[in-house]
Amino acid sequence: MRVCDKITRRITMLAAVLLTCATFSVRSAQAAPYYVTVAGLGGEPDYEQRFTALANDLDKLFKAADANAHVTTFTGSNATKAHLSDTLSQIARDAKPDDSFTLILIGHGSYDGEEYKFNFPGPDISGDELAVLCNRIAAKRQLIVNTTSASGGSIGALQRAGRIVIAATKTGTEKNATVFARYWVDALRDGSADVDKNEVISALEAFQYADRKTAAFYETQKRLATEHAVIEDTGKKEAVRATNAENGEGLLAGSFALLRIGTAQKAANDPAKRALSEKKEELEQKIDTLKYQKAAMSAEDYKRQLSAALLDLAKVQEELDK
Amino acid sequence: MNWAGTPRARRVFLCGAVCLACLAGARIASGATPDDCHALRRHGHRAEAQKCYESLTAARDPYLRAEGYWGTGMYQEANNQFRIAVAASPANAMIRVRWGRLMHERFNNTDADGLIKEALEKDPKSAQAYYGLALVSADGFDNKAIEYTSKATELDPKLYEAHELMANLMLEDSDQAKAFAEADEALKISPEALDAMAIHAAIEVLNDRAPDTWLEKIRQVNPTYGEGYALVAHHLVFNRRYEDGIAYYRKAIELDPQLWSARSQLGINLMRLGQEDEPRKQLEMCYNNGFRNEETVNTLRLLDSYKNFVTFKENNTILKLQKKESDLLRPYYDAELKRIIDTYNKKYKMTLPGPVQVEVYPDHEDFAVRTMGMPGLGALGVTFGEVVAMDSPSGRPPGQFLWASTLWHEMSHVYILTVTNHRVPRWFTEGLAVHEETEASPEWGDRITPDVVMAIREKKLLPVADLDRGFIRPDYPNQVLVSYYQAGRICDYIQERWGADKLLEMVHSFAKLTATPDVIRQDLGMAPEEFDKQFLAWLDKEVGPTVANFDKWRAGVKDLVEQAKNKNYDAVLKEGEDVRRMYPDYVYPANAYEFMAQANIAKGDKQAAATILTTYEKIGGHNPPALKQLASLEEELGKPAEAAATLDRLNYIFPEDEELHRHLGDLWFAEKKFTGAIREYAAVVALQPLDKASAQFNLARAYFAAGQKDQAEDHLLASLEAAPDYRPAQKLLLQMKDSDEGNKNEGK
Repeated sequence: MRVCDKITRRITMLAAVLLTCATFSVRSAQAAPYYVTVAGLGGEPDYEQRFTALANDLDKLFKAADANAHVTTFTGSNATKAHLSDTLSQIARDAKPDDSFTLILIGHGSYDGEEYKFNFPGPDISGDELAVLCNRIAAKRQLIVNTTSASGGSIGALQRAGRIVIAATKTGTEKNATVFARYWVDALRDGSADVDKNEVISALEAFQYADRKTAAFYETQKRLATEHAVIEDTGKKEAVRATNAENGEGLLAGSFALLRIGTAQKAANDPAKRALSEKKEELEQKIDTLKYQKAAMSAEDYKRQLSAALLDLAKVQEELDK
Repeated sequence: MNWAGTPRARRVFLCGAVCLACLAGARIASGATPDDCHALRRHGHRAEAQKCYESLTAARDPYLRAEGYWGTGMYQEANNQFRIAVAASPANAMIRVRWGRLMHERFNNTDADGLIKEALEKDPKSAQAYYGLALVSADGFDNKAIEYTSKATELDPKLYEAHELMANLMLEDSDQAKAFAEADEALKISPEALDAMAIHAAIEVLNDRAPDTWLEKIRQVNPTYGEGYALVAHHLVFNRRYEDGIAYYRKAIELDPQLWSARSQLGINLMRLGQEDEPRKQLEMCYNNGFRNEETVNTLRLLDSYKNFVTFKENNTILKLQKKESDLLRPYYDAELKRIIDTYNKKYKMTLPGPVQVEVYPDHEDFAVRTMGMPGLGALGVTFGEVVAMDSPSGRPPGQFLWASTLWHEMSHVYILTVTNHRVPRWFTEGLAVHEETEASPEWGDRITPDVVMAIREKKLLPVADLDRGFIRPDYPNQVLVSYYQAGRICDYIQERWGADKLLEMVHSFAKLTATPDVIRQDLGMAPEEFDKQFLAWLDKEVGPTVANFDKWRAGVKDLVEQAKNKNYDAVLKEGEDVRRMYPDYVYPANAYEFMAQANIAKGDKQAAATILTTYEKIGGHNPPALKQLASLEEELGKPAEAAATLDRLNYIFPEDEELHRHLGDLWFAEKKFTGAIREYAAVVALQPLDKASAQFNLARAYFAAGQKDQAEDHLLASLEAAPDYRPAQKLLLQMKDSDEGNKNEGK
């Protein structure tokens, strides 16, 4: 009985995921992504250099991935509270609800027990101030990635419906400099972050990649981990270390296309191949359903049905590629 | 040394007669003194002794109450009474000594040391205080134990316990003659010196002679003195004769079932031989009866953690790996164990009588439990007969050790202990094991470190006849490491000068219990002193320039670091070469090779960078990023086979590296070395990567290329299950179907 309940719940969730993905696919034809990356105050030349390099890497990646993307990057003396506020205000004027908005903060942060602040040369910006600026942006799908020390302290201020918030630390009390940003950038460079091989790196995939690499860094160096990345995308719950069906986190992040790394989407939008695309989507749904029913099937039956569906899908893809 | 394995618990009472001489007035109204109680216990009158101690607990004097509670096993109350006694008589040094001894008995050497040192401040001529400090120091194999014991006997020549302790320390140092003399000295002072008798018995057993006369003497004084057997057992274990030691521990607890220290050691040593059920039973019994020293508690914890391990049994090996890393490590360990066993079977002209058990601990603390109470370094691996315990490669930061080299080292012990029936001096088995590491691969084994260079320069290498001491009770920091190096080089020298068979000849001589000086005379045909002279001359030819230039080299490295920091690449290359020539074996952090390679890369000379890194690799450098860089340069220079060979070396250093396996798999796949590619791609899968799809796909394509279609199909399905739209996997699926249909058509 419990197994059946679980499967039903999973299928419901799967349907929700598919619905979100499908909605996103349609919208993405016209929508434009907005990316803002900020490398804050380094404090020391080493940090300054590192933060700037990471921000510049992201800048290149975003620009290369989508010619229509609106990419703004602040480093060095340009990275100030005023510049960031102006840019976010401008995006609030330009962005439409179907657009997506991504803000990535790299640098040092502080948390006094009540308020989080991102460190700029000159006046810092608080989590609340950031939230106010981002809340004015009409884009319904937003991602804020705060990779700084003490970034966990910003989650409460930043979270809201339709926004994914990722922080490098689980609380504001993890105050040591973080390495999460390095692996976040790696996630967008390394094709292996695209675990479902749909040629899109989602926010969830990037989070999982960076989180895993960060943990491996501390483990390999035999150092006590001083940062534990978290994610929240429901807008109302506690941020979590790992998303799953039980905690209900990850649905939005899984469907948020952070970076496109291939041409699959173009083919899907080609009217001449629409029938094949629909067939493909049907098969993908069939495979997903099979996977969620796996526990309730015999191993042989599962293998037989899955093999057949995968073969059909491969054939359809072959046709699409022609 | 491990007095926890000896009857330490009772020893404190047996020495009472002397220490209480300082407290002559300490007596209760009924007339019993702690001395009286100790004497009863010493003679095996347990019930009477118990009553005696109980009577002390009713005394007015808090010190007497403390002794009474201690004697009845009420340690907390004894501790409280000692506190009151010290407050009442703050100038009395002996009360502090006795309190310190209670702490020592109850596994708290820190407080024991502090209290006894306080006593010494009050009475700098207290022989008992020095004896107490010696006991505490002896627990940690501290060389000060000998110094303190000597001081104790100097201050009180009649302190027979100090002579017993010195006899024990000397026997641990393999100096049987001195141990014998000290034990005799103790017996001259007290004909009832039970531990002196036990030392004599241990000397007999270690020489394969019957100890009956001495054991009978012990029985005459105290028929239930299990401590005597436990002391013999301790020395057997110390000489790696675990099974014999276990037999004596069993006799000890047969005589005195409540001798928890012996029972605990029985459990620990049974576990060292690969058992689990009885050790748990024995150790739980100790724990439940309040005997909770660090070894007992941590060993029980380790036994609990075994549920997270998985055991693989083959014909001649039992491999115990933690579940999480078993899929990854097993193929590498299996292959290396096979290579080792094949090599050693031929080399040592023997086969092991049973399977060898290799336990691999990813948590260094778990491994450390296995070496607790053992002398020597034991930092990476330890061998107990046919059981090897070692750190997993994941247990240390990458590049800190070569697991395969350690495995060869430990397996050499297994063979040498077996062929000598555990009768071999420590220096020789360690030296041979170090020698074998480099024999297995010239790139393995430790290179001469700055500590060793300084030891040579300061003429601190020990004569071969005394080399054991360097392993057991070091005189200076890092002497253990220096002794490993020296012993290894002695074996290198013997092989070079007399041939490999000479080493085997010596193994057999040691097995006949021949002492080191006699083996040197008999097998090498010279006096040990002459051997030392010739060995040092040989060593000097090789490392003499490094030793002579050491200060210059240090200054050169300092300058090199600065030049590299300032990006003065020409200077780095010029000075780096000088620094490298002065100390070519220096492959540790801030070595010239890596600085020069970086300078070459900065100057755009990839070939030169590859050349210097290849030299680094061949001379034993094993920093993973440097070797990865070499592999990458080799690839760029169009040498994929060399790149693959370089990456494969990293498998023996730090196999927990997804990128390494994936890349090596790709290189081998491209070279059509499909067996190797399968191993590497399987390692990626075993690491449970986020990108399951490509990991499974790579493995599938390697199997397919190797003609193993069933496995290919399974892994391809796993790949597409993770990512149904994964194009390369889809293409392979269609290719496999086409190939199936092609085969069917051919069949028609």
